[in-house]
Amino acid sequence: MASLITCPHCGQRPKEEFAIKGAALARPAPDAPQGEWYDYVFLRTNPRGRYEEYWHHVSGCRRWLVVTRDTASHAVEDCRDAAERAPT
Amino acid sequence: MPDLIHRPALTKEPLVGERIRLAPMPEGTLLEVRGPQAELPALEAAADAAGLVIRTNGPDQWFAISGQPMLRLDLPDIFSVTDQSHGRVRIAMEGAAVDDVLAKGMAVDLFDFKIGAATTALIGHITTHIARLDRDRFELTVLRSFAESLWHDLETMSAEFLDR
Repeated sequence: MASLITCPHCGQRPKEEFAIKGAALARPAPDAPQGEWYDYVFLRTNPRGRYEEYWHHVSGCRRWLVVTRDTASHAVEDCRDAAERAPT
Repeated sequence: MPDLIHRPALTKEPLVGERIRLAPMPEGTLLEVRGPQAELPALEAAADAAGLVIRTNGPDQWFAISGQPMLRLDLPDIFSVTDQSHGRVRIAMEGAAVDDVLAKGMAVDLFDFKIGAATTALIGHITTHIARLDRDRFELTVLRSFAESLWHDLETMSAEFLDR
């Protein structure tokens, strides 16, 4: 697990200050079929490599962030405020 | 109705050393303010008029603080204010060794932490708001129920600099 996260508001902070929600997925439309919602809630790819996750800076600025990290090398590629990023 | 008695959350004598001093600060007024960053000048003007000082606390978030109790802050409707006067406790920490003491328990790089800067970070396992008021003076703001625990951590962190 990446141990230092560069928060766009607070700078470099240890991972202990954050809570991790999980994969940052595109939210289906409210009237999307049940199967699509089932996948969104329960289905995860668990890739080896690049992964986008929602992290909450609980013990810092209390903003939701999107952290792009590598699950194999632990390298953090990007970290930005969730408000600035539309889910892909 | 009997008079309500104010009992401070942190009843500690100051800890004193040649290069460090820790003391609880008076529990006055502490308001948590949220609103758009662009309206900060309006907030600062209102706080100034009310006798409160503003400490930044992340994007669109501030604390308005004073040692005086029951101060009122009148703001435009675009802001929201939560009274935290009885919810948080402040601790003053000063002395030449203050950076060294804080660095033991906190991951913020104090070399780049300028006078007037403020942020929230973990000290040990306790979320604490820290503000540098001067080169060698910090104000730590912590949730009331964590105040004694934080004090204990700070005491341990300062131990090598204390006169005893």
